[in-house]
Amino acid sequence: MKQVASALHTRAGLIAAIVLALVLVLAVIGPYIAPFDPLKNSGAILQAPNATHWFGTDYLGRDVLSRVLAGAPLSVYTAFEAVGIGLVIGVIPGITSVYLGRTYEWITLRVMDGLIALPFLIFAIAVAALLGNAVQQAMIAVGILIAPAFYRITRAAVLSHANSQYVTASQLFGASLFRVIRTHVWSKILPTLVVATANATAAGLLIVSSLTFLGIGVVPPDPTWGGILASDLSYLSQAPYGPIFPSLLIMATVGSLNLLADAIKDTSGDHGRVRLLKRRGRRVGTA
Amino acid sequence: MTTLNVRGGVGRTADSARGEGIARFSALPAVISTAVALGRALLIAVPVLLVSTFITFMLGGLTKQDPASLVLGDSATPHDVARMQAVFGLDKPLILRYFLWLWNALHGDLGSSWFTKIPVTDSIAQRLPVSLSVAVFALLIAVLLGGTFGILAAVRQGGWLDRVVTVVTSFLATVPGFVAAIALIIVFTLVIPVLPSGGWVPPSAGLLRWASFLVLPSLALSLDTAADLARQLRTGLAGTLHENYIVGAQMRGLSHARIVFVHALRNGAGPAVAVLGMHVPRLIGGAVIVETVFALPGIGSLTKTAALEGDVPVVQGALLVTIVLVLISSAIVNVLLVRLRPAARREI
Repeated sequence: MKQVASALHTRAGLIAAIVLALVLVLAVIGPYIAPFDPLKNSGAILQAPNATHWFGTDYLGRDVLSRVLAGAPLSVYTAFEAVGIGLVIGVIPGITSVYLGRTYEWITLRVMDGLIALPFLIFAIAVAALLGNAVQQAMIAVGILIAPAFYRITRAAVLSHANSQYVTASQLFGASLFRVIRTHVWSKILPTLVVATANATAAGLLIVSSLTFLGIGVVPPDPTWGGILASDLSYLSQAPYGPIFPSLLIMATVGSLNLLADAIKDTSGDHGRVRLLKRRGRRVGTA
Repeated sequence: MTTLNVRGGVGRTADSARGEGIARFSALPAVISTAVALGRALLIAVPVLLVSTFITFMLGGLTKQDPASLVLGDSATPHDVARMQAVFGLDKPLILRYFLWLWNALHGDLGSSWFTKIPVTDSIAQRLPVSLSVAVFALLIAVLLGGTFGILAAVRQGGWLDRVVTVVTSFLATVPGFVAAIALIIVFTLVIPVLPSGGWVPPSAGLLRWASFLVLPSLALSLDTAADLARQLRTGLAGTLHENYIVGAQMRGLSHARIVFVHALRNGAGPAVAVLGMHVPRLIGGAVIVETVFALPGIGSLTKTAALEGDVPVVQGALLVTIVLVLISSAIVNVLLVRLRPAARREI
């Protein structure tokens, strides 16, 4: 993960990484440090943020901070799951489509075009609801739907290197297809792929929160960041600050993922190496 | 050279007086060639349509929902269930059912709901105007906002406006659609109560009233697209404005507005138009969030309710209509892209 490491040397990359680390910690230990039972109703409904309830309480008197903490794992892990599925079924055909003949290439291109034409959110909802209203099904659907993005990005990156002379040379020396991909192609497409993955995780998080907001893939009392927002919606006139905390959390996570992607983009590849060298040179010069 | 450009629908050259005279003369062929290009773009979409509708149809085949037992209830005998399955046509193989469904769909018959028995085409026809008007309104707002700020940022490169646009667009990219919608409701119905917080009236109830119900949902839907458009337009245009031919145009003393809008915009807008094409499906398919928050009776909410009930024909029909809309709009965007920059023909 050389790409990520060099991105951490920029200020934006470092800030993004710190926020993401905090969110990850929250996702792991969140449910255990919740001060109240996230499912327990109380008489104190729709309270403003105060010393006991830092984020206030919702319409059933449940502590919002506890619900946000308890909902963290489901909200974060599911995004990773979807991106993981998308990576596998997008990248593998993306690389192989360049090498395995025209018929295979044509088929994968048409299938990916077909997937792109599917209206994203509606299709994810339909899959999740029709295949049993569970979060796993929803994530498989989202994963399949983001696969074309990975497919296109990988394919474009591979195509730009597939006919390089050093690749042809190694093929003439008798290197197997797998060896060519592993030693020559993979290292060239990795920076692009890391950036795409960070961006896709941000998009995945937004989609997951949208789905849970609509009540897809979750059973009602279970807390999720999107679900908390949905329950706030009916009580906006009594508690207009209700949506602020879960929204801020989603936005901070998504924003840092995008920021990290930009930082990696700026510091990887030939262009990025030049930039890093220049920065280092300037620092030496001023010191 | 001039004639060639005009026939290709470009029609804008430096010697504008002669060029425009010929352009007026050959307006008809330009229309025809655009129609041909559109037809070809739609033809390319046919295999895509087959793949995506087959995936949609498979969904109905994979679901464990059995309409026969759903409709008949617990007390049904196996014999009744078998009879019901024959009525719904579920005893035939999946692939045959797909082609039957597609054939009927081509003749305007999408079957009827398993539960309410209302024809799917009727439900869709009722809700399509809502979704379409929100999507079109959102597209207009996105093009207007994104275009204006993208061009302004590119022209004032490095200035405060450029920086503000960059910050605002990066911020908007992190805002989930429903958060934007909730924020708009809070601002425009609680803080400044000027607009309705949700619901829908048809345009026949008064255009102004119709528009007042349309503004907030469309704005909420357009923000993401507007931000992306502004960012792409800024990047594309900023690069183009440094090209040699722009410097040449400046040397010849052409006005600043003419250089930006005629010379640079055409070459710099390519990425922005391509991004717009990617966003159109999101405007049509992403409307489900906005429809939920603003309680709009659109296609998205129809699909959502039907999917949660397990009403497969409604889901399949609504998805088919959405896919067709998406394919038509991306074909239009592709044609637009080629018209804008003939060199882009090979990219699609």
